[in-house]
Amino acid sequence: MKLLLIGMSHRTAALELRERFAVDDPRPALEKLLASDEVAEAVLLSTCNRTEVLLLCHDLEAARLRLQGFFVRELGRDGVGSFGQLAPSLYELVGHDAVRHAFRVASSVDSMVVGEPQILGQSKDAYRAAVECGACGPVLSRLYQRAFATAKRVRNETRIAERPVSVARVGVELAEQIFETLEDKRALLIGAGEMTELALEALRSHGLSKVSVANRTRERAAALASRFEAEAHGLSELSTLLTDADVVLTSIGGHEPVLTEPLLRAALRDRQHRPMFVIDLGVPRNVHPEVEKLDEVYRYDLDDLQTVAASNEAERRREVDHAEAIVREEEQRFDGWLTALGAVPTIRDLRARAESIRQAEIDRLLPRLGLSSEAEQGVDALTRALVNKILHAPLSRLRAEVEREEGLANLEVARSLFGLDDGGANGGPDPDEDPSDEGGGNAPS
Amino acid sequence: MALLLHQATTGLYLLAAIASALAVGMASPRSARVGVGILAAGFATHTAAWLALHALPETPSLTSLPLAVSLMAWVGTGAYLLMLMFVRGSLLVMAVAPLAFAGAFFASVALPGAEPPAEGTDSLWSHLHVLLASSGLALVGLAAAAGLLYDVQHRAIKAKRRARLRLPLPPLEALDRVNTVALLTGFVLLTLGLLSGVAWVEAVEQRLWPGTLHANATLAAWAVYAVILAVRYGARLGAHQAALSSASGFALLLVAVVGVRVLA
Repeated sequence: MKLLLIGMSHRTAALELRERFAVDDPRPALEKLLASDEVAEAVLLSTCNRTEVLLLCHDLEAARLRLQGFFVRELGRDGVGSFGQLAPSLYELVGHDAVRHAFRVASSVDSMVVGEPQILGQSKDAYRAAVECGACGPVLSRLYQRAFATAKRVRNETRIAERPVSVARVGVELAEQIFETLEDKRALLIGAGEMTELALEALRSHGLSKVSVANRTRERAAALASRFEAEAHGLSELSTLLTDADVVLTSIGGHEPVLTEPLLRAALRDRQHRPMFVIDLGVPRNVHPEVEKLDEVYRYDLDDLQTVAASNEAERRREVDHAEAIVREEEQRFDGWLTALGAVPTIRDLRARAESIRQAEIDRLLPRLGLSSEAEQGVDALTRALVNKILHAPLSRLRAEVEREEGLANLEVARSLFGLDDGGANGGPDPDEDPSDEGGGNAPS
Repeated sequence: MALLLHQATTGLYLLAAIASALAVGMASPRSARVGVGILAAGFATHTAAWLALHALPETPSLTSLPLAVSLMAWVGTGAYLLMLMFVRGSLLVMAVAPLAFAGAFFASVALPGAEPPAEGTDSLWSHLHVLLASSGLALVGLAAAAGLLYDVQHRAIKAKRRARLRLPLPPLEALDRVNTVALLTGFVLLTLGLLSGVAWVEAVEQRLWPGTLHANATLAAWAVYAVILAVRYGARLGAHQAALSSASGFALLLVAVVGVRVLA
């Protein structure tokens, strides 16, 4: 059984190409993929930054061809061309590399914004969809459970997601370092702009509810105010508005600063020196630099916010090495489980062989002995216990050996030694059977 | 037993101080919460130490410096733990734990030398004076700790180097609230402590003011606090200035109350 992953992400494909492979509901596509014999299990993850399919197969080459065709014919829209044209934008990972990639993706180590939280939810959605349409069996289920556990460890044990990296979120973080709560605070929006509105939305999502809007004309202010359920004012009312404003967001045209030191000094006096957070997103700046002198005014312009955001992002990247170490550790753990899965058929065959011998001997001997039914049950239990005790050591050793790749050769030795391929029970690995499961309730402790 | 419990308290306060230092060093809020937990355990032991002290056949005088300092550490720690129920300020432990340790350490070292109350010192006024003044001092100490953290946080935000300050300190508004509440309560207790001190001197020496260095320096520190509060509530002093003033006022008060007696 092999794991194969083919996909494209922000690292390999431009947005114009990625959007043509975006999948809203992965279930129909997965059902088509599962219909082919080459694929045993599959999960399809599609986000704005990546589309990738991870599958479990018996024959790697056949599955690879099937998946390449699937990408071109089933996932691609608007004439994506042949697989040859698409190949440079795709990556293909097999075995350990595919496992590591799935763990890195769920942990947000491979994300465009390292540490962003959405990818974990998106991975869980992809896994859930695969389970719902029967595409996810025991191997990929185990893999994704470990991937989610890895993501949780990365989040808890590193600082990868600790600091905000968007200008709007940096604004919120700063506001929360100044104010205990935003719920009873009032924001004053002076002018308008995309960035200002994003910052205001971010503040509102953290509880800020009271908003006033001021603009050069009352009409413009009213248009903006209606969008935020706010009160509209003209710039002439600034001195009054500043008295009540705890957070001021400015982005208004003009070459002269709108907020000057004397204006804010007077406002601070009127508001009894309660602190004020001023976010100046205007270019040229709307707040005079002299304002910095005022103790209770915390002024951040666009450059300041971007500097903090960039520094936070650099801090997240410094945590990537730590996160990668966790990913490697978890990947090795999963690999151990996956390798041990290879021992399942041999263990099952060995048990079946021993049981058939025991049963044959019981059937041959018991009628001759003429025992009572109670004594027969005793003999049956005794032979069962003997078989389990004899098998316990070799089976345990076999399980331990196959967790090391070089120990796989011992499987062949065991099959030959016990004549397991000479006939009798055989079959492919049954992943439902946990290789670490002791089985046979009478195994010695 | 009382001494043993005091020593155990000192050990726990020290552990809390170490945990809070680790919280700063490793930028780990979790270590700060561990520090708070240890501090709370220390407070419980401290309470037991006080109860054991009162069970002694000859209780040392409350007016002795070791007991007054121990009381100060106990009230300050208790006030901080109480405050945590209302304000998100576990990181304030980095300032409170070392102060509590210093107080408990001094008390446990000097306690064996503390003597039973001398003639004329064991009165209602003397006990009231020590209780009120020590509690007042503990609370203005808490205000000073909040003030110092306010200054650190204020400077970090002003300097726009948030990413460098990796440890998330409590918001300025919360620190200001702790500072204000602790300062106001502490000032009221200090004033009552001062008045009960006057009543004690009047009862023993039949004069209103002893004119000692301790009394004069305490009066000066009390006046500083009175000015801080008057200016603050006259709305002419911002939160940052008030934070710095309360820290300076506490330093002066510490010199006046403890320093003068240690040097004497």
